[in-house]
Amino acid sequence: MTDIAARSAAPAPRLEISRRAALKLFTGGMAASLAGCSPPAEKNMPYVDMPEGLVPGEPQYYATALPLGGYGRGVIVKAVDGRPVKVSGNPRHPASLGSTDVFAEAALVELYDPERSRDIRGTQPINGWTEFLGELQQWSGKAKRGEAPLHLVTSTVASPTLLGQIASLKQQYPGTRWFAYDPLGGAEGARSLIPRLDRASVIVCLGADPLGPGPMQIMVSRAFIKGRMPESPGGMSRLYAVESTWTLTGANADHRLTLPPDKIDALAMEIVGRLEGHPGSPLPLDKGARHFVDEMIADLQGAGAGGLLLPGPMLREETVQAVLQSGRRLGAPFDRAATFPAQLRPEPFAAFEEILHSGKVQNLLLLDCNPAFDAAPDAKFAEALKKVPFAVHAGLYDNETADLCRWQLPLSHPLEAWSDLTSADGTVAIVQPLIRPLYDTRSQHEILGFYAGQTAPSGYDTVRQTWKQGAQDAGFEDWWRNALVKGVVSGRSPQFALSAGNTETSQPAPSQPPLDAPADSNSFVALIQPDQTIYDGRFTNNAWLQECPKPLSKGTWTNAVSLAPEDAAALGASDGDVLAISSSAGKIEGPLRIDRGQARGVVGLTLGYGREGAGAIGNGLGYNPRLLSPGSLRNVIRGIQVKKTGRRAPIPSTQMHFSLEGDLRKLLPEVAPGGSLPASGTKPSLFVPPPPRDPYSWAMVIDTAACTGCNACVVACQVENNVPIVGPDEVANGRAMHWLRIDSYDIGTAEEPRHGFEPVPCMQCEKAPCEPVCPVEASVHDTEGLNDQVYNRCVGTRFCQSNCPYKVRRFNWFAYNSGQEYKDLGKDPMPARNNPDVTVRARGVMEKCTYCVQRISGARRDAEKADKPIADGELKTACQEACPTEAISFGNLQDKGSMVNARRADPRHFTLLEELGTRPRTTYLARVRNANPKLAGGSA
Amino acid sequence: MAQVFKPRANTIALAVLVSIPVVVVLIFAINYQLHASPYATLMGLYVDQPVPFSHKHHVGDIGLDCRYCHTGVENAAFAGLPPTHTCMTCHSQLFTNVAMLAPVRQSLATDIPIAWNRVYKLPDYVYFDHSVHVKNGIGCSTCHGDMSKQPLTMKEAPLTMGWCLKCHRDPGPHLRPVSEVFDPHVPDPQNDPQKAVALLRHYVIETGNMTDCSTCHR
Repeated sequence: MTDIAARSAAPAPRLEISRRAALKLFTGGMAASLAGCSPPAEKNMPYVDMPEGLVPGEPQYYATALPLGGYGRGVIVKAVDGRPVKVSGNPRHPASLGSTDVFAEAALVELYDPERSRDIRGTQPINGWTEFLGELQQWSGKAKRGEAPLHLVTSTVASPTLLGQIASLKQQYPGTRWFAYDPLGGAEGARSLIPRLDRASVIVCLGADPLGPGPMQIMVSRAFIKGRMPESPGGMSRLYAVESTWTLTGANADHRLTLPPDKIDALAMEIVGRLEGHPGSPLPLDKGARHFVDEMIADLQGAGAGGLLLPGPMLREETVQAVLQSGRRLGAPFDRAATFPAQLRPEPFAAFEEILHSGKVQNLLLLDCNPAFDAAPDAKFAEALKKVPFAVHAGLYDNETADLCRWQLPLSHPLEAWSDLTSADGTVAIVQPLIRPLYDTRSQHEILGFYAGQTAPSGYDTVRQTWKQGAQDAGFEDWWRNALVKGVVSGRSPQFALSAGNTETSQPAPSQPPLDAPADSNSFVALIQPDQTIYDGRFTNNAWLQECPKPLSKGTWTNAVSLAPEDAAALGASDGDVLAISSSAGKIEGPLRIDRGQARGVVGLTLGYGREGAGAIGNGLGYNPRLLSPGSLRNVIRGIQVKKTGRRAPIPSTQMHFSLEGDLRKLLPEVAPGGSLPASGTKPSLFVPPPPRDPYSWAMVIDTAACTGCNACVVACQVENNVPIVGPDEVANGRAMHWLRIDSYDIGTAEEPRHGFEPVPCMQCEKAPCEPVCPVEASVHDTEGLNDQVYNRCVGTRFCQSNCPYKVRRFNWFAYNSGQEYKDLGKDPMPARNNPDVTVRARGVMEKCTYCVQRISGARRDAEKADKPIADGELKTACQEACPTEAISFGNLQDKGSMVNARRADPRHFTLLEELGTRPRTTYLARVRNANPKLAGGSA
Repeated sequence: MAQVFKPRANTIALAVLVSIPVVVVLIFAINYQLHASPYATLMGLYVDQPVPFSHKHHVGDIGLDCRYCHTGVENAAFAGLPPTHTCMTCHSQLFTNVAMLAPVRQSLATDIPIAWNRVYKLPDYVYFDHSVHVKNGIGCSTCHGDMSKQPLTMKEAPLTMGWCLKCHRDPGPHLRPVSEVFDPHVPDPQNDPQKAVALLRHYVIETGNMTDCSTCHR
C-alpha cells in the first residue's frame, strides 16, 4: 500500500528536452518517414532443379479420390506450386460426375489443419517411430506365437489394397480378428441402397434420405434431377416423403407426411402388403393422413416397375429386408452399394465391445476410427481401452480414442498418400498424393506394412502390387499411367475387391438392434441422423463445414434438438432454450429448435458434435447423441425424457440475415410441370443499355427446381474465393461472409409445410444500385457486365451494402483472413490453402461474388493465347462446377447458342425483385412441383 | 497602450492567407509528382545481386535468347527465373572455378536456391500475366528496356498504374511484329496510327475490356 501511495505522490518524471532538440527530432522524423517510403526488398527464389512439367505459378491438375463414410468419390485437385488449393469433381467418375459435395470441397482445410496429429505420441515424450517399431516387434512376435492375437478395428473399408493387407495379416498372425463399424449405425441395410431415381416415376421415401449427405449424395441427386426435369422422357417423377424430422429429401418432396418412426415402420409393412397383393389391416391414422397414404399407395401401384419404395435407416432391419425383397420382385429401380467380399468380412462392433470388456484384448490397432466418440462414448469402454497394453490408434487427429491408447500414430491425409478407393457403385479409383506429407506421417498401408513386418513399407509399392497381375506384367505401366490420368480404374480386378451390389440375399445384414418396447405417452422417441454439414463427427474440426449453414435450419457451429411446435409448447420452451434429454443410459443437453413439420413425440438429434478431442475449432460445440445409448449404434431410442434446464443458448443462425423484401410468390414462384410464369414484358426505360463493347456478356441462370439445397456451391465458392471464416459470435452478429447463400423459404401451408431453396449470389445488375453510391469508385461496372469490387480502392463506407436490394455484399469487420483469424485459422500451414489467384481481403473492405472473375480472366487469356473464343461450357464458376444437379448455368449472352440464352427463354424464367429495374445478369427458373391432383386439393 | 499591430501586419496577414491555398496545392502537387518519381518507384536503380549476373554479357555479348532462362514467359503469368541447373548447363564447363560464381555452385551442392533480389515488383493485388502480353505483340524491351546493355539489372519502368494504363488505353502504338517480340535491341515502336491499326487487327486485340478494373485486380 505504502509503496503505491509513495509512488503516486512522487512528481511525474519530466522529459528534459529543449525546444531546439524537439525541432531536431521532428525534422528527423519527417526525413525518416520520407526515407521509409521505398517498398520493402523482396527475394526471388527459383528452384535448384525444377520438377519436370512444372511451371511456377501455373496450376496442375491431378485425378484422385476422397473417402466419405469409407467409400470414395472421384475428384480432380488443382495444385499451384505444389500445394493443393481446390477440389473439383471428376467427370469420368460415376460417384462424382464432375460435381462435389460439401465434404469434398472442404477436404483441403483438413489437410492444412494446424491441429492435425504431426508426430507419433507414446507414453514417453520423446518416443518416435523407432521406439514404436521396437515395441511392435515384440508384440508381433507374441501375435505369431498366438499369445496376443492382433485385433484390428476400422470403419468401412473400401480400399482393395487395404483389404488385401488385412487378409494377409490374418494369414500371417493366426487368431487375428477384424472388426468394422459405420458411425452412422447400419451401413449394410437401408443406407447401402443406391436408388436409381432417374428410372423411377413415383418415389416413396419412408424415413429415407437419399438426397442427404453421404457417399452417394452426388450421383443420387444428379439422377433425381434427371428424372425431375419437365422435359425428361416418361414425364417428371413424383416424390413422396414420409418422415419424422426434416431431411433434404423431405424438403425436395412434392408431398410430405410426418409420422413418428414406429408408425413409418408399420406403414412400410402395410405398403409392402398391398403391393404384394395381401393387404392386412390398415394402420390407424387420422383422416388426412389416411387419405394421403391411400393416394400415395395408389400412385405407387400405378407406376408399376417405375415405382420405388425406399426404406430409411430408422426402420427395423426386418422391415427394410421386406421392402427390398418386394422391390426386387416388382423390378423397382435400385441397386446395392459395393460391400465387403464374401471371403473377407469383418465382425460387427458389438463383437469387439464384448471381447474388449472381457479383458482378452492385448494387441489392438484402431485404424482411422474414433469409437470412443462415435460409437461408445462411455466410461466403461474408456476403462477397458485404457487397460489394453498395446493399444495403437492411427488417425489424422490425436482424438478421444487416441487419448485412451498407448500410441497415437499420425496418419497421412488422403491428399498426401497413395491408396485406392472403391465408390458405392463399385468403381475403383487410384488415390494419388498431391503433396508430400506435411509432417512425419504414414499412410494406412504403410502402418499395416509395419504390422506385416516390413521395415520400410512404401504405400506406392503396396498399391501397385495390388493391381499387378503376376511378376511379369508387361502392360502394367501403361495401365497404371492411364488409371492415374483418368482417375478411374478399368480392366483389372484385384484379389480382394468389394463385391458390387445386388447381393442382399447372400449375407444377412447385421441387424439394427431391435426397437425398445413401445413408449408410454409421456416419453419421446429420439431419432438420430447424420449432421447435414458435419456428417458423423469426422469433420468436427473443419471450420468451413462448421460455418456452412445447415440447409434447412440455417444454424451454424452447433447441433440443435428439434421438436414439433406442439411438444415445445407443452414444455413451455422456445427456440434456443437448453433442453435436457435423458435416456436410461445417459443424458445430454442441447439448444431447442422448433421445427414446423416434425412429428409429435419425436426428438430430432444429429451426430458429429459434443467432441472433446477434436481440436480448437470443434471442441465443446453441441452434444453427442451417442451418449444416450453408448455402444449400440442405434438410430432410434425410445423412452426419452425431455426437460427444460432454464438456461438459454441461442443457435447462431443465418436464417433471418440478408432477407429480401417482397412477395413470396414473386421471390420464389412455383409452377406445375409444363407450367409457365406470366411473361413480365419489358417495360419502357430511359436507361437504354449501350451496345456491348466486348465480345462477352456474362450471365447466370439458376434453376430453383433443380436446387436440392445441398450447400456444395456455398463451400465451393468459399474455397475458390478465399472467403474467410468469422466464428459463431460473428455469425450471430450477422457477419457471416459467404458470398453465395442459399435462401430457404417456408412455402407450404399450415397443414403441409414445405421448403424451397434459392441460391443467391451477386446479381451483377446492369443498373447496379451499389455503384452510384460508392464515393471512391470501388464498385464499378466492367464491359463484360460484371459489377467489379476493387478491394484496393475500397475505404469501407458500406454505402454499397446498404443500397444492395439483394443483400449480397459482405464486409470485413475484422481482418478475418489477414491477422485476426478465428481461433487457430491463421496458424501455419492454414494460409497455404488460399487461392493465389484471388486477393486476400484486408480489414475494412467490402467484398462480394465476382462470377469468379479470376476464372473468367484465366479463360480469356487462354483463349487469346489459343486464338479462339471461349466456347460455351468451357468456363465454369466454382458454384456451377460444384453443383451435383447442374442447377447453375453460366455463359455468354452474346453467344446465341449458349445455355444461358436457352434457359433465359424458358417459360419458367424470372428475375428476382424485377420491379426494382436493376436488370440483373443473374436470373432464375421457377420451382416445379409435380403434385398429385388427387392430393393437391386436400393436402397441399 | 502601445500599438498592437505594426504597419507590416497587413502584409503578413495577406501573405498567410494567400499561402494557405498555395501550400495545400503544393502538398498535392508534390505528392503527385513524388509518388511516380524515380525516387519513389526506384526506377533506374541498379540492384545488387548475390551473383553479379550480367544481362549485358549473356544477352549482348553471347546472344542468348530471353526464353533460354525465362521459360515461363510464353505460357505463364510469371516469366520465371532459371533454376540453378540452367546456370550449370554452361557453368559446369565454363568458368568452373571463378569466385564470382561460388554462390551458384554452393546452391547446386546444398540444394538451397539462390536468393535473387527482386527488381520488378508489383503489388499483390495486381495480377499481371507475361504470356498474354508476349502473345499479343508487346516486346520484352517495351517494359524491360534493352537488356543487352544492362550489366546488372535495373528497373526500367516505374510500374505505376498510370504507366500501365498509358498502354492499356491505347495499345496500338506499342505493338510490334512477332519476329521482334524477343529482340532486345528493338525499342518500344511508337507506331503511327496506320501501322497501329494493322497490328491490332493482326493480333485480334479487343480493346473494350482493357481498362476494366477486373482486368488486373481481382
